[in-house]
Amino acid sequence: MNISKIKNIVLKGSVMVFAITLLSACKIVFKDGDVKVKPGDGANTGPVSCSSQTEGVNWGALLTENCANLSDYNLFADPADPTTNPNSGGIPYDLSTALFTDYASKYRYAFIPEGEKATYSEHEAFEFPLGTVLVKTFAMPENTADREGNELVIETRLLILRESGWVARPYYWETTADATLAITGKSIPGMTTTHNGEELNFTYGIPKATSCTSCHAVVPLLAGPDDTREAIFKPIGPKARFLNSDFDYDGLVMNQLSYWALNGKLENLPADLESVSQAPTFNDQTDLDQLNGEELNDYAKAYLDINCAHCHRSELSLPEPLYAGPAGGSGLQVEYNRTYEENPGKFGVCKTPVAGGHSDYSADVVPLNADDSYLLFRMSTNDERHRMPELGRSTVHGEGVALIRKWINNLPSASCSPAP
Amino acid sequence: MKQNNNMGRLSKVFLCTLISSSILVSGCKVTIKGDDDAEELVQSTVDTIVNGGNSDGSGTGEPSCDGTLTTSGYRFPCDAIYVAPEAVDGDDITNELLLALFEIADDSVVVLPEGNFKVSETITISAANGLTLTGHGIHSTKLDFTGSTGDDGIRFEGGNDITARDFGVYETNKNGIKAVGANGVHFTYTSTVWEGDLAESQGAYGLYPVQSQNILIEHNYAYGSADAGIYVGQSNNIVVRDNTAKYNVAGIEIENSNKADVYNNLAINNAAGILAFDLPGLEQAYGTNIRIFNNNVYANNTENVGHGAVSIAPPGTGVLVFAVSGVEIYNNDITDNDTSAIELASYFMSDQDVANYPVNYGDTIAKGWSPMIKNIYMHDNTIARNGDNPQGVLLQDVIAGYSSAYNSTGTPQVFPAILYDGIGELLSNAGALTDFNFMVGDDAAADGVNYNPYGADDLLCASGNINGNTGPSYDDVNTGLVYGTNPLDAFNWDANGNPAPSLLIDKMVNNTFLNCELNRLPEAVVTFKGKVYGCTGDDQAEPSCAL
Repeated sequence: MNISKIKNIVLKGSVMVFAITLLSACKIVFKDGDVKVKPGDGANTGPVSCSSQTEGVNWGALLTENCANLSDYNLFADPADPTTNPNSGGIPYDLSTALFTDYASKYRYAFIPEGEKATYSEHEAFEFPLGTVLVKTFAMPENTADREGNELVIETRLLILRESGWVARPYYWETTADATLAITGKSIPGMTTTHNGEELNFTYGIPKATSCTSCHAVVPLLAGPDDTREAIFKPIGPKARFLNSDFDYDGLVMNQLSYWALNGKLENLPADLESVSQAPTFNDQTDLDQLNGEELNDYAKAYLDINCAHCHRSELSLPEPLYAGPAGGSGLQVEYNRTYEENPGKFGVCKTPVAGGHSDYSADVVPLNADDSYLLFRMSTNDERHRMPELGRSTVHGEGVALIRKWINNLPSASCSPAP
Repeated sequence: MKQNNNMGRLSKVFLCTLISSSILVSGCKVTIKGDDDAEELVQSTVDTIVNGGNSDGSGTGEPSCDGTLTTSGYRFPCDAIYVAPEAVDGDDITNELLLALFEIADDSVVVLPEGNFKVSETITISAANGLTLTGHGIHSTKLDFTGSTGDDGIRFEGGNDITARDFGVYETNKNGIKAVGANGVHFTYTSTVWEGDLAESQGAYGLYPVQSQNILIEHNYAYGSADAGIYVGQSNNIVVRDNTAKYNVAGIEIENSNKADVYNNLAINNAAGILAFDLPGLEQAYGTNIRIFNNNVYANNTENVGHGAVSIAPPGTGVLVFAVSGVEIYNNDITDNDTSAIELASYFMSDQDVANYPVNYGDTIAKGWSPMIKNIYMHDNTIARNGDNPQGVLLQDVIAGYSSAYNSTGTPQVFPAILYDGIGELLSNAGALTDFNFMVGDDAAADGVNYNPYGADDLLCASGNINGNTGPSYDDVNTGLVYGTNPLDAFNWDANGNPAPSLLIDKMVNNTFLNCELNRLPEAVVTFKGKVYGCTGDDQAEPSCAL
């Protein structure tokens, strides 16, 4: 019996029905009815679609559609340039200390729907209104010494706040005209940049969409066998401490928090900015020799926070009770708003690595002996078995390693430290 | 494939299955030929409605809902989602797998293809509910992570009632299959394998649920891990049964976890067979109520190449209980382990700097972690041929003492089959640790964590264990105490008032040491998809549950 023939007939008939009734591309409907992977090929005829011609940002599409092209959302005046001229009052921003991504330059924008505001939080990422999209474009400069000069725009990541919560959508600039949705990420060999006069050559990885949760989700600290709470997806960067610094808005230099508030995009900001937490500004030009001991601790904590604490965090100051970062369970918890002195062990001091470890390093952090500290090694290696952060970098951040090295070597002596 | 001919121009087919006209898609095939990318995939406009999941009709054993079974007998449902069903051996199926699993619908069944495939990144699955990720069988579907750019193989983050079954995970850079923060984890008929010689560079954990609830790990095979083959950490309500853990540093390890039943497993050729640990400084500060029974723990004599916490495990160990209280070890067959059948150690064995405990561990002691070891009941185990070649940095001095005149008998002894360090108990009984009580937080204190002299319920007891040796070596199965536990015995203290090791030793059967009995511990209860597993559930009739 030729089963295949029968099925082929079914198949053809079905295609026809499908084409007539839906005029749509492949859909996968999941969970709460949100549409999972749906190319915006312009075939949609509804009021909201990727092909809608909108005055400013295509807010409707952002809320429900996973458009094939970044330009479909109409986020920028020039759809081929995601580094400037945002539509609909998108606010550019910088973080005073940033996650390291292979020395890429980053262009960040917050698009908050008209008339809506983000809500200030003392320690955590701001609460954003429905429809907000946080946009981050990664570009590799030809030379890191000249970030205004030539660069290769690689990818644009969107974090969109939908009814179901935040979703992440990565877009890859395969051509200079537009970026396309890259759910499975992309590995780009032969990426180069010149840093401190030395040419770096590496494979740049655009994380796949599923990887986004690895950094952006907090997981429930399950309270018992009946606890079925789910992970919660969160932005990482837009926290008061990282935005509490000046930004050049086309000649207007202003504190970012003040600017957001002034433009009606942030509420509940304390009137007294002095009372708002402020992470120091660390970049590749920071001269470590100019830092005193207190500043060194501050810089190191800010660096560990933005590079590690999205995973390595406890429930400390999270608004949702009994949630923590996916790697909080390791015992290494390095939130900026954690007091070092209260429990140095949370910063890895004299702590034995739980999973794995390495024979050359006796503890995560050995005060006064960076060379014996597994944490520093993990920052300094590209070996997948040990590399930290585990995602988002293919090169070693020399300046970050130097900062943490100096921090470890200036910590107060602990029981695992070398004898004086 | 025939269906591709039907599709016409495309080499990439994103073929979805509608089961009704309500745009509800319940099954989908993801088929990509070549190594190209998602953007092309999602732009492809070939879409098809078919009835049921079997659209290819090629009759070549392709996925179908007409009765395809895995080698373990699991039947794929009609709405199963088939990942790269036409992939051939050696294909990299990473993208297909990622797409199939991305924001996956509740209660989906995702089927991996039959054969050997490459996966080049960590497969992260976030907040899945009721997901079953299945291959065609533990030997039939092999995912090779050699050269992957990620650390773990498959990682579940959050989620409820997750199943991984019927496939093998090979050569991951770090862990094999991990689940963090999940309620309901079922790993069955999987393998996690690192081939070649056991070396530090091998992966860490094979099967690795952590900070999770309701964990059922059964019929798996864990081989070649440089840490633990099967590791459950900071979790509660756990059943680990009918697994084989071979040639890992640690075979099966339960760490900072509550209510675990570990039974009917085979732990063989590891450095240490089965471990129960509490480590300081973790989110879940301590565990208890761990039952280890009816396991075969054979010849765990492999070199310990591990680092971090597991490195303390002496090679040649059958069962190791380390700084955890509330463990029942019974009816196991523990044979041919070259150091000891059972080792019972407080954290003081590893870190003797008692004066610095408040500084180093104050926070975790407040949350209830304790260096002590209490309430350990070993009974009805069959123990044979242990102590032939005792090893381990942790035991260096102890080994030297028993193998020379420097033990309580004054003559060299075969290393004890049951070895207890005794030092925590001695210090407690002497009242030397009562200051630690002030560090213990209210919750932990209410849970019974204290540093008082040992009461009857705190003891370590061995009774009814069976000496499996025959003939002249019958007398070689002994119980040893590194430190005597009676503070009034002057032999237990040196001239400076510090504890002095006595290296006591006596026969295990009719022993003078650890001669007591304790209350039995309650069963672990795992509830998964509404069904109860373990000795109070599906294994009620299992003989080992009646022991």
